[in-house]
Amino acid sequence: MNAPLKKLSELSGLAFDGRRSGYVPPKHLEISPSLKLHRKWKTTIDPVTFEVVRHALWNVNEEHGATIQRLSGSPVAMYALDLNPSILTEDAEFVYFGPYMQYMSGVTDTQVKWTLENRSSNPGIRDGDMFLANDPWVGAAHQMDVMLLCPVFWKGELFCWVTNCLHQYDIGGITPGSFCPSARDAFDEGILIPPVKIVEGNEIRRDIEEIYLRSSRKPSAVALDFRAQLAGNMTAKQRVLHLMEKYSPEVVKGVMKKILTDGEAAFLKKLSLLPDGVWRDRTYVECCRPGDRQVHRVMLTLKKIENRLIFENEGTAPQAGGINATYSGWRGAIMVALNELMCWEQYYAVGGALRHVEFNPTPGTLNCADFPASVSTAPVQCMEISLYPAYNVLSKMLYPDPGLRRDAMCIGGTSQWPATIFRGIDQWGERYGYILVDPIGGAIGAFSHADGISTGGQARTPICKLPNVEHTEQSFPVLFLYRKEICDSGGAGKWRGGLSAESCFIPHGTDRITHDTLSSGNAIPTSTGMMGGYPGAVNRYRFLRESNVLEMMKQSRLVNDIDELQGTSETLQLRQQDFAQDPTDVYAVLWSAAGGFGDPLERDPAKVAADVDNGDVSEKAALEIYGVVLGDERGTGRRRAEVRARRIHDRSAPPKKLEGKALLLATENLAIYKNMRYGCAKCGADLGSIRENYKTSCIRNDLPIEASNPIVGDPKRFIDPTPQFRQFCCPGCGLAIENEVAVADDPPLRDVEILSK
Amino acid sequence: MSYLVGIDIGGTFTDCAIVDRAGKLLTTKVPSTPQDFARGMMDALDAGAQALGIPLERFCRDIKFLSHGTTVGTNTIIQKKGAKVGLITTRGHEDAIHIMRGSRGYNGRNIRKVVHFPETSKPAPIVPKRLIRGVSERVDCFGEVIVKLNETEAEAAIRDLVAQGVDAIAICFLWSFRNPVHEQRVKQMVQSFSRDVFVTCSVDIAPKWGEYERVTATALNAYLGPVMAGYLHKLDSSLKNLGYRHGLQMTQCGGGTVPVARAGEAPLLTLDSGPVSGVTASSFLGAAMGEKNVITTDMGGTSFDVSIIHGGKPAYSFVSNTDQYEYFLPKVDLQAIGAGGGSLVRVNPQARTMTVGPDSAGAFPGPVCYGRGGTVPTVTDAQLVLGYLDPDNFAGGRMKLNKKDAEKSIEGLAKLLGMKTVECAAGICRIVELQMADVIRKVTVEKGFDPREFVLFAFGGAGPAHAGVFARELGVRKVVIPQRKAASTWCAFGAAAADVLHIFEHTEIMPTPVPASRINSILNSLETNARSVMASEGIAAGRQRFEFSLDVRHKGQINEVEVLLESPRLTSDYELRLRKRFVERYEQLYGRGSALAGAQLEIVVCRLRARALTPRPKLVHARKSSRTIPAKAVLKKRQIYWPDLRKHVTTPVFDGDKLVIGNQIQGPAIVETSDTTVVVHPRTTLRLDALGNFEINFSNRDRPYFSHLSIGRR
Repeated sequence: MNAPLKKLSELSGLAFDGRRSGYVPPKHLEISPSLKLHRKWKTTIDPVTFEVVRHALWNVNEEHGATIQRLSGSPVAMYALDLNPSILTEDAEFVYFGPYMQYMSGVTDTQVKWTLENRSSNPGIRDGDMFLANDPWVGAAHQMDVMLLCPVFWKGELFCWVTNCLHQYDIGGITPGSFCPSARDAFDEGILIPPVKIVEGNEIRRDIEEIYLRSSRKPSAVALDFRAQLAGNMTAKQRVLHLMEKYSPEVVKGVMKKILTDGEAAFLKKLSLLPDGVWRDRTYVECCRPGDRQVHRVMLTLKKIENRLIFENEGTAPQAGGINATYSGWRGAIMVALNELMCWEQYYAVGGALRHVEFNPTPGTLNCADFPASVSTAPVQCMEISLYPAYNVLSKMLYPDPGLRRDAMCIGGTSQWPATIFRGIDQWGERYGYILVDPIGGAIGAFSHADGISTGGQARTPICKLPNVEHTEQSFPVLFLYRKEICDSGGAGKWRGGLSAESCFIPHGTDRITHDTLSSGNAIPTSTGMMGGYPGAVNRYRFLRESNVLEMMKQSRLVNDIDELQGTSETLQLRQQDFAQDPTDVYAVLWSAAGGFGDPLERDPAKVAADVDNGDVSEKAALEIYGVVLGDERGTGRRRAEVRARRIHDRSAPPKKLEGKALLLATENLAIYKNMRYGCAKCGADLGSIRENYKTSCIRNDLPIEASNPIVGDPKRFIDPTPQFRQFCCPGCGLAIENEVAVADDPPLRDVEILSK
Repeated sequence: MSYLVGIDIGGTFTDCAIVDRAGKLLTTKVPSTPQDFARGMMDALDAGAQALGIPLERFCRDIKFLSHGTTVGTNTIIQKKGAKVGLITTRGHEDAIHIMRGSRGYNGRNIRKVVHFPETSKPAPIVPKRLIRGVSERVDCFGEVIVKLNETEAEAAIRDLVAQGVDAIAICFLWSFRNPVHEQRVKQMVQSFSRDVFVTCSVDIAPKWGEYERVTATALNAYLGPVMAGYLHKLDSSLKNLGYRHGLQMTQCGGGTVPVARAGEAPLLTLDSGPVSGVTASSFLGAAMGEKNVITTDMGGTSFDVSIIHGGKPAYSFVSNTDQYEYFLPKVDLQAIGAGGGSLVRVNPQARTMTVGPDSAGAFPGPVCYGRGGTVPTVTDAQLVLGYLDPDNFAGGRMKLNKKDAEKSIEGLAKLLGMKTVECAAGICRIVELQMADVIRKVTVEKGFDPREFVLFAFGGAGPAHAGVFARELGVRKVVIPQRKAASTWCAFGAAAADVLHIFEHTEIMPTPVPASRINSILNSLETNARSVMASEGIAAGRQRFEFSLDVRHKGQINEVEVLLESPRLTSDYELRLRKRFVERYEQLYGRGSALAGAQLEIVVCRLRARALTPRPKLVHARKSSRTIPAKAVLKKRQIYWPDLRKHVTTPVFDGDKLVIGNQIQGPAIVETSDTTVVVHPRTTLRLDALGNFEINFSNRDRPYFSHLSIGRR
């Protein structure tokens, strides 16, 4: 039972066929010979034709996304942009992938590959067919992300695929909306559909469509969205066919292949600038089921060996409760960061890069869960917790190159989603159910050369918008007392993380609202900083019963913070179910903010002063975390020196200093000097051989987790283990080389391991 | 004699179009004076008087209608030179303008920048946090006051902001469009506290649902207010001193004009009004030509702007963006991409790829051939290399171009790509032409319009060189390069042709069924309001024209569709007809079969466009026409590379200003005018029509690159 879990590369005989474990496509797909693939393309295309067709293909994909948005018109598609269209080659390599919900990228190609392997002989893949799919073990973030796959044929040969994915309101399961926080397993959740032919010979299979709609509480909305998905694919298919007619299929295919090879070459060029190494990150999920007070570890390892990247989740806790993700969810999460940090100049055309990226999952874990684990909450829990560490490991890998360093980005806000799920009778007398979508307002993490972006959105969706307060108040029986950016929420650092915001509301036009919570990252910050940067704020629910808000309102007095009201404060648990909010009960939800970059003691004091002036940083934090005495340059210098001295108070003797110039910067603060030794990038203090963990040569200070960010509160409210904020400081100058958020029992993490150069 | 005058101030030139009673058009062009734009306007009038041969005072006295478009507002925003603004808003919601709905203002931005987070920061705030004051007050979604305005707090806020030295105060409360009483009260308080502070309420500028876009509109209006008020005041009094007796009209982005007093209160309306005037002129010309469906295109140095006129009416948008700020504004819809004469060409030799734009060399350093230090080749350089442009006769001879340097720079790229220089130049044009075809597709096919039912108007210095190509790609019927003389001052001409227009909106989300009486009473109050505003502007009832419309959507969905009402009021059985018209329009926009039959609808906005007819220029059709090309119109032939023919051809060149009505020219040929170069591609014919427009027809129409898509009904 408790035997250690093994990873893919160590297992043999276990089928990764999308039935028990997630589908991991083999290197060579087994496709029925009856399906002919179009495999002819021109390898010499003049640059003008290439650019014209390339631009057209990008536009095809963009129009595909726009068509879905227009036809669906659903708030999910229009505000959260929880959709994504793509174009793939005949053998399911990405040509283009839209700038919408990036999670969906990792699940798209696996769906198509599975369909090629499992559907090409029976029932066959033919011109005029489309496949509907949402099985997370084949490839979907969770059951609500329904995909429609459309093969495009040219004269009887499969030319390419156009596909899309769109989050549905409800496709069944025990909870309206199909997010099922109390699900025991997948059988309590929405319908599971392995790829099934829903359009055959350009006709919708009515029988299949009815099976699909029958499981939904909102069949007409799902039907409308299905039509939007259908129209999106048809638009894209027609335009691709026109391109083939105009430029010939061989040219269009040649352009697709060149997009891939150009993307591949650009990716390899980047890898060639970087040393080989291993980068690791560790984070935790809280509360996997109601009443759970444990934390569940999530590990991510990135290995770069010459021109290959390998991602592993070894060390991640076993699957549990209702927080899991499948393999494709984990892979999709990592691909978000890969797209954004390494393929942005290719417009996220990640296909070429993927030729050199391997995934080596350990099945049975939280983020590579086996069937029938509950996975409906994956995108806000285990995928989120899989994604954000990927920003860290990739950023650390990119850092050694001065050019690529500028693409590094710390973890952004809403790195775990504090869900506020509520229902009742609205002000119009109708039943409703809703998840407050405000946390998509997120925050963007600090860069290696600039501050993050306050309430700049969730990094995993480069374009999205949260509803106006007036939109929410029109549709649901609530009144917002405030929605504001929260002072000190952004992770401190040489470059500060973006601030997040808090929404606070009371019931309005109804007698009572019934709520569930679903959250993690309330005790332990999940937007950890990087290279000495501090974490952003945690998620925070605040609930005040029987407050005096209505009396205050009668006296024409509104508040800017829930603390200005009187009432009985109640601590909400992270999976608290069916609790009531009555008209005088005030509910405030803060979503987690973004991580900071670099040691805050190195931040330009003028920037700290500007932050204080703008209300982004408190005077207290300016002094305690940034070491800035406002308006007193000398005082600041003294204060910072004191803090540094205090950090290395425990050192036995001054360290040896390394001679000569640094050969390479492994991180902002960690350099490699000759003889392959780590040293402080600022003072040259020796930090040991690169074969060892540099942290063992640092002065380690274990601080309470509350020291990591002013918003972090007592973790014992939610979890039993004790989390720490560990600072690893240069024994020479007291610089914070790196920080770590960890539960007390976990050893120091070897986050950076440079192998060569 | 009496005159209609339109004046358009652009970044570089101030244009003036003067139309006399007989319909004769006279145009002048003087340099703009960015230090004090008002002076440039006076210069333009002076130039007009000189051209007419009369003293300036007499000219001004004889002007019957003077309308003016200006870039002052747009410049103020781009250069961040607006006023110091304080914002008063509902307590607890001070950050709405900063949170920007959790987005980074990506609409209209280049997607490459949007997907790369380090390049995607939020814009500098219009109002910094320390100049925002929250005041206790609250209205709910029903429009009911649930927290009375706390006047003590409001007064403290005003005192405090004034003490901070703000020039303008913006007021925007939640749900004010449902009940404006608190906003109006605070406005009064500001006015009684200080006469020097410009004050603006959200209900006065954008009474729409959604606080972020509304507060942004309000704050921007305040940001522009003091700057614009000074400018307008100066202008208005100078004109009065010169003897102009009618009110100055300002062009606005809704496609008409507003009196100077309204423009002073609502300077936001003047944003983009210049290009919009071009659309006004186009619909005016389209009507004279009997063309109701027009695609207008304008290619300048940095951007390519497109708009659609369908059934004689320009397409509208109700949310705009400038510099990443997104805000409500009813406006003629203009789509722009970064594709102009100055668009930079970049090459990646490893991948053997070439891209054009979206960044531009601008006027400085400009294209390589300008010789101002530009080293990266541009579209203009490519045109020069192909021979489309005459290096010695560019922009009417105002500027000499350096062809050698252009060639050298493009040759450099061509070598990297293993191409011939001319092929590379032709490729640059081809890439930019396809980009243009794509953006036109977005505003036609993607909005349910079939380009084959349209004619395409091509403006701008750089446009007529390419229009023949992208128009063919789209399958439009023909290309028109409007009136030779007017074209270069087209926006000024549009200003002269514009009507006075006020748009009144009432926003209230009303799920069907809604009794007709409820809507009618809203329409009544809009009309009463419009009549009183127009009466105060001295517009007689007989000149007032009203057009009512409703914005309707499926309940619970987002897409709103504007439905024009056939009669000014609804009858009790209106719903079926409204539904039918909604479905028609919805399916035109979103595809056949996309509307949900029988679904509940919501009426979101009731709108009134109130126009006052103003004197119009007359366009006179020539009676005489001749096929004989005057000898003086024939210029020296040039060697030109024609991409379609893949070779150089000795090509005839004509002076377009000397051609006469009825002349016809077979491509390949070049027609030069003082403002632009028309490239007559092989297999196309150019004709000078009875109104003096160049018209390009395609001898055999290709199968269009894009076909129109319809989605089958399920």
